[in-house]
Amino acid sequence: MTVLLRRTICDQLRRARPEKILDVFQRIHLRFFRACGLASGCTSFASSRMAMSDRLLGIVPFLIALGSFLQGCGLVFDAVELVQPLARDEISTICSRGQLRVGISVEPFRPFVFPAVFTDEGVRVTGLDVELIREVADALTTHCGGQKPIVPTLHLTRFRDLFIEMNEGHLDLFVSSIGGNVPGARPAGLWYSIPYFHNGGVGAMIQKPEVAERVRAQFQHQAGNSDTLAAIQAGLSGLTVAAQKGRTSHLYAEANLKNIRLLICDSLPAAVETKDPRIDVILSKYSILDYVTKHVWPDWHLLTRNDGTPLILTQESFSIVTIEENRRLQWFLNNLLYRLEESGRLEHMRRRWLEEDYAPTRRATTEGLPFEVSKVPEHYEQGQCRFATGR
Amino acid sequence: MSFRNRKVNKKEIQMKSHVFSLISLSLVFFLTWSSIGWAQAPREEAEKTAQHLAILLNVGRLIVERNQTLINDPRKGDKGFTPEVFEHEVVDEFIRQTSIDLKHLPSDLPSLAKELMPVLLESSKEVVADAQLVINQRGIGYKNFIPATFGSQAARKFSNRSHVKIKQTTLNPRNLKNTPDAYEENVLKRLATQPASNTSVTDWIDNETTLRALTPIYYSKDCLACHGSPKGILDISGYPREGAQEGDLAGAISIQIPVKSQ
Repeated sequence: MTVLLRRTICDQLRRARPEKILDVFQRIHLRFFRACGLASGCTSFASSRMAMSDRLLGIVPFLIALGSFLQGCGLVFDAVELVQPLARDEISTICSRGQLRVGISVEPFRPFVFPAVFTDEGVRVTGLDVELIREVADALTTHCGGQKPIVPTLHLTRFRDLFIEMNEGHLDLFVSSIGGNVPGARPAGLWYSIPYFHNGGVGAMIQKPEVAERVRAQFQHQAGNSDTLAAIQAGLSGLTVAAQKGRTSHLYAEANLKNIRLLICDSLPAAVETKDPRIDVILSKYSILDYVTKHVWPDWHLLTRNDGTPLILTQESFSIVTIEENRRLQWFLNNLLYRLEESGRLEHMRRRWLEEDYAPTRRATTEGLPFEVSKVPEHYEQGQCRFATGR
Repeated sequence: MSFRNRKVNKKEIQMKSHVFSLISLSLVFFLTWSSIGWAQAPREEAEKTAQHLAILLNVGRLIVERNQTLINDPRKGDKGFTPEVFEHEVVDEFIRQTSIDLKHLPSDLPSLAKELMPVLLESSKEVVADAQLVINQRGIGYKNFIPATFGSQAARKFSNRSHVKIKQTTLNPRNLKNTPDAYEENVLKRLATQPASNTSVTDWIDNETTLRALTPIYYSKDCLACHGSPKGILDISGYPREGAQEGDLAGAISIQIPVKSQ
């Protein structure tokens, strides 16, 4: 612990990133610092950089003093490590553990993650993201020598908690149809892989046909010079629009749709269920809306362009997320995703989940993965919706 | 005197030999009777135990079926269908069907049944406990927590904890793990051609050391939503409907009790 602390302090002070220092303390569970008020219990990555900097003004001299005090211990450590490396990289740790700890959002994002169902084998979860996790685990099994299978242990947790769980070192990675190329979606300290799903983007679903007419009228005014953002801004003006908290649709609406009444919901089912206020438009990932309007909520319809083609508000691609320090795991994931793309396997998976006609329950029985029930919030509620403040 | 004495002795010897023969015969009879009884008792005990276990698993399935609307209600979060509620309903229904109180098992119940029934009840409760997360999801209707999946899991949990094996089986299983073995297939084929009956089919195999018991299950009206007509069309869980009618043989609860291992 002392050695790790010394190395971390030197490394982090060199980079002079105050919030990173606190993050590392949190990751190694340095409760002493928390107890002394030197590191906050808050686990969000960039909640207030200024506040952290102020707090660190008093901490930095202490850390420097501590660093110098531990100099001798570090030399001993370096000598020992030359003979026997003590700190293992993250992939070796996964290999020896025999488990890949994967975070997945408990809020269903069909067809990427379906709601957990009961099967003859017990409780199982399935979907495109789950199949991808299987691929990662299989590749890791091969990478680790193939003698002991690497078992993916799923931690189903609320979307907002995935980042905290990752930060606190409870997860090796998480996969939950997360957009890697959306402004504001990448908290500091996390790394996003190359995309495993390219055709993502924000779409909209509606119940009243007049909403579609309003947007289409805007496109008609543009007379061939298509400008989706302008058409959406004018077409949705004054309407009540729902988006899921922290997701791309929320970030998009906050940044681009100033004249709407924005309703922030804890989940997509919560938005669908809300009757008061009456929601005119629900924004979410297009591929998810495409699935749920066909299979789950047939009363809702996808908002399309005048020619019936899908109306995508902005493009996004989905990535696997891990922490910034996991360099070996990052390369492993990128190389694997590239190979899966190259071989056509990813395309096959995308077609299988997005285009084929299938019953998720049956797939859950035959290929679903179990998960850590103890990690799941008790009596998962889909949550509620509330108006966005400060707009 | 000596002649008289000799005569008396002869009579005594004759009497003694009669008494000895009588005692020997009694002993042989007693030993034969007791050995028959010794062999008979575990057989009867095993058969009764199999019968009670089958009823208990079936009662658990029935309770799940009765609560299906509640379990599948997408508007409710916490359904209140806890392992304790399940247990309470199972105990009530079991008393109704057998007059046996699972909470206070009667002394005349076979000791094997007394040992195994609490294990099956506990296994069934655990299945309901494991499914709480799924059952209490709000906004999601069909969750696949149905009598069949409940029964499979409860039987598996129970079988892992005892020397007795329970399995749900049918001629065309949706889950290949429920595929019947040769014995089960024979009995199921026979049951399918016979009128519905709640009587179990029992046989002793492997030199009379293992009891095989199959208790038939028949389709009720509620089952037909998934297993009824039109045949071949996918049901809510994604499996093709069997085209069954009410009262048709759905499958059986198969129980194996090895008597030697006790």
